[in-house]
Amino acid sequence: MSVQTTYQNIRRHPLAGPVVRFVAENSAIVALVAIVVIATILAGDNFMSQTNIINILRTVSIIGIISLGMTLIIISGGIDLSVGSALVLMGAGGIWVLNETHSIILSLLSTLAGGLIIGAINGTIITRGRVTPFIATLGVMATCRSLALYLLNGGGISATVPRYEVISNGDLFGISYPVFYFVIMTALVYVFSQKTPLGRYIYAVGSNEKATHLSAINVNRVKVLTYMIGGAMVAGAAIIETSRLNSVSAASSGTGYELDAIAAVIIGGTRMSGGKGSVIGTFFGVLILGILNNMLTLLGVSPFVTGTVKGIIIIVSVLVQRKE
Amino acid sequence: MNGLILDMRKMWKSFQGQSALRGVDFSLHAGEIHALIGENGAGKTTLMNILGGVVLPDAGEILVNGRHASIPTPAASHRLGISFIHQELNLVNDLRVYENFFLGAELRTAIGFVDEQAMCARTSEILRTLDVAIDPREMVGALDASYKQVVEIGRALLANAKILIMDEPTTSLTEHEIRYLFTVMRSLAQRGVSVIFISHKLKEVLTVCDGYTVLRDGSVAGSGRVSPSVSEEDLARLMVGREMAVEHFYEPRPLGGTVLAAEHLSSDRFFRDVSFELRRGEILGFTGLVGDGRTELFECIFGSRKKTGGRVVVEGVPRNLTHPEKALAAGIGLAPKNRKENALIKDFSVRSNATIARLRAFLRGPFIDSRRESLRTQEHVKNLNIKVSDINLPITSLSGGNQQKVVLAKWIEAGSRIMILDNPTQGIDVGAKAEIYHLVISMAQEGKSIIILSSEIPEVLKVCDRVAVMYHGELVGVLDRDSATEESVMMYATGAKGRADALQQERSHA
Repeated sequence: MSVQTTYQNIRRHPLAGPVVRFVAENSAIVALVAIVVIATILAGDNFMSQTNIINILRTVSIIGIISLGMTLIIISGGIDLSVGSALVLMGAGGIWVLNETHSIILSLLSTLAGGLIIGAINGTIITRGRVTPFIATLGVMATCRSLALYLLNGGGISATVPRYEVISNGDLFGISYPVFYFVIMTALVYVFSQKTPLGRYIYAVGSNEKATHLSAINVNRVKVLTYMIGGAMVAGAAIIETSRLNSVSAASSGTGYELDAIAAVIIGGTRMSGGKGSVIGTFFGVLILGILNNMLTLLGVSPFVTGTVKGIIIIVSVLVQRKE
Repeated sequence: MNGLILDMRKMWKSFQGQSALRGVDFSLHAGEIHALIGENGAGKTTLMNILGGVVLPDAGEILVNGRHASIPTPAASHRLGISFIHQELNLVNDLRVYENFFLGAELRTAIGFVDEQAMCARTSEILRTLDVAIDPREMVGALDASYKQVVEIGRALLANAKILIMDEPTTSLTEHEIRYLFTVMRSLAQRGVSVIFISHKLKEVLTVCDGYTVLRDGSVAGSGRVSPSVSEEDLARLMVGREMAVEHFYEPRPLGGTVLAAEHLSSDRFFRDVSFELRRGEILGFTGLVGDGRTELFECIFGSRKKTGGRVVVEGVPRNLTHPEKALAAGIGLAPKNRKENALIKDFSVRSNATIARLRAFLRGPFIDSRRESLRTQEHVKNLNIKVSDINLPITSLSGGNQQKVVLAKWIEAGSRIMILDNPTQGIDVGAKAEIYHLVISMAQEGKSIIILSSEIPEVLKVCDRVAVMYHGELVGVLDRDSATEESVMMYATGAKGRADALQQERSHA
């Protein structure tokens, strides 16, 4: 009934309705299928091989987990530009703790704490300081990168505890761990966003902040918590990233991650002004970006052109969504 | 030539199989002010959108000045001399009056710069014909609401409008401003401009209009000339299509002890030293003119605005209500005015809107039990007679009256014992208004205490036990039901009677 009302105007043929409706509601999935088909035709067996598919999933898992948090932040009506730099700072901190204490648990906990703190700082500047999210997180972005460069003397830091790299480089049934992390985190964040009060408040704040406030909900608290969840996701991504390479570089790690994450969220169909969207859409958005990269590499296209294709996909996906 | 400037014949229009207009005839004389009235959904908007070139009719013919016309686009409508002044005015507040006048069609000098002087001169000329002294260089944002209306009218005249459509122009105006607007409308009519006046306020229709057309369910329920023999009741009857039961809502009921006491509340700019008490089961009205501070007063009591002095005592306990969260915990709910901006989460379903203030009640472990949530929402839908086929439909698909009921359901669900309703019947049609009044009364009978904020005095008199009147941020009088009449309330609201008189009256009553 609800669907009929929404899409009445495009109902013509009895079959056309459901088809159009499916495309409209799941544009990210449809786009994904289209891209997979194109990739298979163009790159054939190379693309559809099991190792290649797992390789794609492994590569996107870091951006993927960041994108989950970014989705919630954008649904709440905000944005977080600090994710890439924050990843470097908390990753470096985590390795430092690891090298000092030789405790992987302590290292993980300290990275997570770092993520929560940076998220809390973002959220507090935005709510208490009434700074727009773009500006606040831009400032935090610059600060985090600069602190990392200063603390690491412009260089990097490597882990001295060998077991640390197992976190990212181990595998189960031939599938590397990060793939599991990404899939499990997607499921958890999805359930959180759909089933818990805080999840629903995040949507409410993005949809109508004033009405949410006047429904006796502490909007500031919701926002701060949203950025803290985003920070925790970045911490998870930082752990995977540092463990995969067993090191982190102050200058080059995490650059451009914020743009990739925002792109994945947009391709996934989340409304930039907040109130509407889903982490499931983002999951497929992440896959689309990953497959695109992979396909262009397999086809031997210059890596410098990848950005152009990515840019076009972002704009096209927004145009298609607006048509609905 | 029969003097008809506009003649719409047998207009038909349906949307997705739902007919919005079924053979509507509508005609307008040159220099006539003609009221178009009807409940929400009666087809007024569709008819006017056809005239404005926004939608195309399925069938029917339109004659403008006796000639057949087709209006496929808003531009075509403009060329025919039709101007639509929407309820939400279409002005840019950050531009000057003359800039708004010529927005998009700026006059230019020989070398292509904007010709400020010429535009100001033309603007003054038009404003003079409307008998207003507005400086063309004034910022529109700094103008009073009625002057903004006049600027819109002036802009229409600049475009040589012969037919002006005004959609509920008086909703945000004070009595005084309304009277002024009517003067402007009459002088327009004298110069041969025709006005289509869309309004819910029947009294205004009888005051200013020459003719009327009433729509009901997409057909003309009646039309004619306004004369002393036409009464508000006649029009209301045509609108709802049945004899309106003589509006009798109020029932005396026993009142309990004091549940809410405001003591010397102040907030810098908005109100000063306001004290009042609310009893259990009481309905207390707050009225006054625009800018009297009542909305701000109750925003403050609800914790969404800072107070600078005084205190609030709820059920005998002094409370420091600094956030709506705390007001909710103290048992206070607020249905704010401007429902769309302040009360509705537009992307949410009916269900999610109804339960948002008390989601924690539906928790099972960390998760929302959506089955229980749905059952509760269904109960409210039934109890409040909310017309919705599926509680998972978006809230925006409901009519204004049903949306307001969902907002009420939210606070009932939240267990509020004190309900503050700010302008609760804003943008709601006659039938739904009556339902809201009945709801308010039945909530009071259940022992809830209710405060109604409204600038419509008859509305307040209809249901309230007492009426508090504010004037320029001060509570100037609290009238008992027996002594409150439209006239006596207006005396206080306009500042003609002050606080001393009120005190005297209260004393003589006791």
